Amino acid sequence: MLSYIVRRLLYTPLIVVGVLLVTFLLFRVVQGDVSSDIAGKNASPETIAEIRKEYGYDKPLIINTEAARERGVLAVFDSQFFHHFKSALTLDFGRSRSKQKISTLLMEGAIPSLSLTAPIFLGLLITSVSLSMLVALRRGGPFDTSVVVVCVMGMSLPILATILFGQYFLAHKLGWFPVFGYEPGLAGAKYFVLPALLGMLAGLGGDVRFYRTVMLDEIQSDYIRTARAKGQGTLRILYKHLLKNAMIPIISKVVLAIPFLFLGSLLLERFFGIPGLGYLMIEAIGARDSQVIMALTFIISILFVLGNLATDVCYALVDPRVSLN
Amino acid sequence: MYRAAMFTGSLVATLLLTVAFVGCGESGGNSEGSENGSGSAADRGPLVTYSATSAKVRGMDPMDIGDTTSSGVASGIYDCLYQYHYLKRPYELIPSLAAAMPEVSEDGLTYTIKLRGDAYFQDDECFKASGGKGRKLVAEDLIYSWKRIANIKNISKNWWIFDGRIKGFDEFREYTKAVKDKKDVDYDRPVEGLEAVDDLTLRITLTKPWPQVVFMLAHLPTAAVPREALAHYGDEFLNHPVGTGPYRLKDWRRGSKIILERNPTYREELYPSEGEPGDEEAGLLADAGKRLPLIDQIDISIIEEDLPLWLKFLAGDLDISGIPKDNFDTAITPSRELTPEFREKGIVLKVYEEAATYWYGFNMEDPVVGKNQPLRQAMNLAIDRDEFLTLFLNNRGVPARGVLPPMIAGYDKDINSPYTVYDPELAKKKVKEAEAVHGGPLPVITLTMGSTDSTARQLGQWFARSYERVGITLEVEYMDWPTAQEKVKTKSAQMYAMGWVADIPDAENFMQLFYGPNGSPGPNNMNYKNPKADALYQKLSVMEDSPERHELIREMQQIVVDDLPCVFTLHRVAFILRYDWMKNYKPHVFGYGLGKYRNLDAELRRQRVGR
Amino acid sequence: MTAATTEFVPPSASAGRSLWYDAWLRFKRNKLAMVMLGVVLLYVAVGIGVAAGWLTADWKESVGPSYAAPSWEHPFGTDIFGQSVFRKMIYGTKISLSVAFFASLLSIGIGVPMGAAAGFFRGVVDEVIVWLYSTLSSIPGLLLILAFAYALQGTSLFGFKLTGITSVYLALGLTSWVGLCRLIRGEVIKHKDRDYVTAATAYGASKTRVIFRHVIPNVTHLILIDFSLRFVGFIHAEVILSFLGLGAKSEPSWGVMIDDARLELSRGYWWQMAAATLAIFGISLALNIAGDALRDALDPKIRT
Repeated sequence: MLSYIVRRLLYTPLIVVGVLLVTFLLFRVVQGDVSSDIAGKNASPETIAEIRKEYGYDKPLIINTEAARERGVLAVFDSQFFHHFKSALTLDFGRSRSKQKISTLLMEGAIPSLSLTAPIFLGLLITSVSLSMLVALRRGGPFDTSVVVVCVMGMSLPILATILFGQYFLAHKLGWFPVFGYEPGLAGAKYFVLPALLGMLAGLGGDVRFYRTVMLDEIQSDYIRTARAKGQGTLRILYKHLLKNAMIPIISKVVLAIPFLFLGSLLLERFFGIPGLGYLMIEAIGARDSQVIMALTFIISILFVLGNLATDVCYALVDPRVSLN
Repeated sequence: MYRAAMFTGSLVATLLLTVAFVGCGESGGNSEGSENGSGSAADRGPLVTYSATSAKVRGMDPMDIGDTTSSGVASGIYDCLYQYHYLKRPYELIPSLAAAMPEVSEDGLTYTIKLRGDAYFQDDECFKASGGKGRKLVAEDLIYSWKRIANIKNISKNWWIFDGRIKGFDEFREYTKAVKDKKDVDYDRPVEGLEAVDDLTLRITLTKPWPQVVFMLAHLPTAAVPREALAHYGDEFLNHPVGTGPYRLKDWRRGSKIILERNPTYREELYPSEGEPGDEEAGLLADAGKRLPLIDQIDISIIEEDLPLWLKFLAGDLDISGIPKDNFDTAITPSRELTPEFREKGIVLKVYEEAATYWYGFNMEDPVVGKNQPLRQAMNLAIDRDEFLTLFLNNRGVPARGVLPPMIAGYDKDINSPYTVYDPELAKKKVKEAEAVHGGPLPVITLTMGSTDSTARQLGQWFARSYERVGITLEVEYMDWPTAQEKVKTKSAQMYAMGWVADIPDAENFMQLFYGPNGSPGPNNMNYKNPKADALYQKLSVMEDSPERHELIREMQQIVVDDLPCVFTLHRVAFILRYDWMKNYKPHVFGYGLGKYRNLDAELRRQRVGR
Repeated sequence: MTAATTEFVPPSASAGRSLWYDAWLRFKRNKLAMVMLGVVLLYVAVGIGVAAGWLTADWKESVGPSYAAPSWEHPFGTDIFGQSVFRKMIYGTKISLSVAFFASLLSIGIGVPMGAAAGFFRGVVDEVIVWLYSTLSSIPGLLLILAFAYALQGTSLFGFKLTGITSVYLALGLTSWVGLCRLIRGEVIKHKDRDYVTAATAYGASKTRVIFRHVIPNVTHLILIDFSLRFVGFIHAEVILSFLGLGAKSEPSWGVMIDDARLELSRGYWWQMAAATLAIFGISLALNIAGDALRDALDPKIRT
């Protein structure tokens, strides 16, 4: 088991390197030099050259042999790739097009994103797990069937349509919620209600179906049947046995979902004016700010890798069979 | 000389913005002579005005500011040497940080400017020597601020203001190129044409006459910033503005809200006591002679989607707003008046012309469109400008048939081309001619749109449909604005959406777009070149405004419309709504930082919306 | 139903046909699924019809005034140019299905060979492929798609200029093969030591031949199930990418229609939105239900 954990730990840096490679490939190789983009209108060639220097586009892509000849062997690393590497690993992503510090932008965006996604996440978890337990008990009955039908229908609706209709009818037409806005702290809670509800609505179908399958697997197991045969009450069965045994698949899904919370919901943030990371991403796409897009991609991925690592290690500790695979 | 000078196909989407910086507020307790009788400021609390903007504020360092929204906000914090008179029309400059208009030498090269001695920087922790107390502004501060723009390591977007204009300044820029690190640039290095004769006297020496320089000295990037703030905040200065203006930054939550508060150490500046005829009746002189600013706090929400901004305005949460395209019909009747429903709410409509011309430019170096005048004529003839205005702008504009918008001196409605009207039959004939010139069937023409949103798509579709009718095949490529800009700048776009919003009231601002040597990446992005036009421009650009100059402007315009380097489309007309509790609102096409003049009837607002 | 406990008997090469036949019989019993399959086929037929120019080639034509409300004459009203929203909705089938089709093709084209290779050869090949997909799956899906689409747009590939829609095909295809690859790898590892494979190698068949002639056919049903469910995801992704300005632009697609309708909605012009939503809802629902039935039919082990 220990060897599994060690192996897993050693593997993580490899994934980080992989993520770095992907972002490098996309934003430095495929996309190429964007310095004249940054320069703005009426820029002189000198200004563009200056920006090339600032962003390191004047350096060779992978290794700097020329510098190595002039300044010694170590200067071979004075290349776009190694600078990309360094800036990512030191979490110093430089400044955005608008000269704001990217790390500040990321930190500022994380809070609003979390304030939206955390309630969605928790709400979804509680609703979908309880709902799936209820339907699993009445498998095949009219309640189960109708829930499944509604879930599939929900999954079939495009999320953009859900958001637009929701915002239009519930906020504009009926005036039940504020249409738009953001305020930090508790004062801003009212702005989060509708986007959180819509976010839950959009995710409910898929989640209920997932947990229903999990519950069905469990409910067919012998201990539940035994418990039922013994005449134990439904609630007791639900919470004592079913939930307890379904915990592992639930937890694994939960842990994997956590890093995504930081990303926020791109579309919800955009439509409800919540200045989170998803919003930052959309904005960066519009402004072609590849530095910001790259930083966001990297950070979220690293969170994900770490979350993954944590789950696997916990698993290995809890369930020795895992390490055999 | 042009603020956010180019607009794309998404010009419709930009209709709503630019109302952010309006401020209003009743003369609160701080302003002397407040006699509104609605209770003292003490029991009312500070007077706050609410507005919104649909674009994000990127930063508040004047050196880096190039967009209208940031300009609007930052100009409440910073001052330039000159400013526009709030009420007088035609537009007129008056001193701001300067004590008087400049003394110009005989040869038009030397400008001597006296500063008023009572302007202080806002109190800020960066003034360590005085324990946070703001220091008095001196001539050296302006020179320092401009040198920052010249320093190439700062990558300022605004170097074009000074490029080639001031003696020795280009050499200073050359010098900064050689410096290794941004921090090592020596700002004390003398520049011949920028001299602080004493603390309150600034002397500028130009390389050649340039009468429009005074307008530049009213342009936000040339505002005064204190050296201490840069030393203290470094690269973070853009988030910690320190200026001499009527307001200072109280709070800035990026992406959601900006709050400006009254600067308690603002110099004594009074509300103007004369304006143009009609101002008195409109109540615009009610506050004449009162000390500025009149309101205590400006509260600006950042709302990027049109609809929520509009709904917030309707709920009375905003004092002023534009009208989104999609809600225009609910607010404005076909006879261009406010609907009764809106009037009952106490909403007031203000319509005014903007100093802007929009067009679809041709790259004159392109072998197809550039060398084929009948084709360009056909492409102008095929466009139904009235339908364009109806479909995309709710008729908020007038068709453009030439270069200058009507409000600019030198505009002449008789200067136009017989081809800038809608005539599909003639267009078809011209297409035949164009094919003869081209020597065969016309290839597909590509239009570059600098936006990917739905309005841009609809515009693109509309153009393609219009051209299809006369036998021209148009393909539209959509991309984000930076990419499109890049294509235009590198002369690789064939036809593209473009427009100019002037922010100085001078025709030269437009005419330089058609001056050959200004070709890409310069402002003449059509790469239009006509020796006759060039000769005229060289003359008119160094002349003081006069009837003779207007004659030259007319001649040059006629040459341009004959050559048709673009499809002229429209001049925009703005529709601004505000509640009647907002006082002293007068649209101003060129000035920013007008919030200090606005006032507010808080009692009326409370009655209407309970706020 | 005790199917979950019955041992899943791995199909031998000769039993392949009967597996499919059995599955078809099982599928046919599900009436709802049959209807849904019909709906899917209808969409496909419409998509092909549009692509071939038989249907709604005249979508550009103005059929009425700007923004006419739905009526007998214009079933879904008209848009800003008086174009028929109904025709645009029909036409949009082409873009949406082509996005889903090409992205699926690309994802199968990458995922299946890679998964098979990793599972069959193990060793270094396996390590590299597993590392590659672990890396890609560490980057959140939407973020990865956006990053790809963003970086790809406007660039050239083999002298071929990538326009909005082709970069969407690529972005979706290049990012979505991971799940399939992992699945195939697992199955191949499972099948590798089965008798029929061992027998084939013993008779001197080459490794690639073994993979493609013997192993892959035995996991085809997994590919099909994966494909049927992934399809929905692609159609929905096209909508989001269009909203972000990364999709089709010159032709009507459902994503473009929804994006256009975003602004129209506040003026009360709901029909373009409704038409596109309905179209997406229809095919998603059909695919979801038919896909589930397909899974149940093909893979009795996980029948629920």
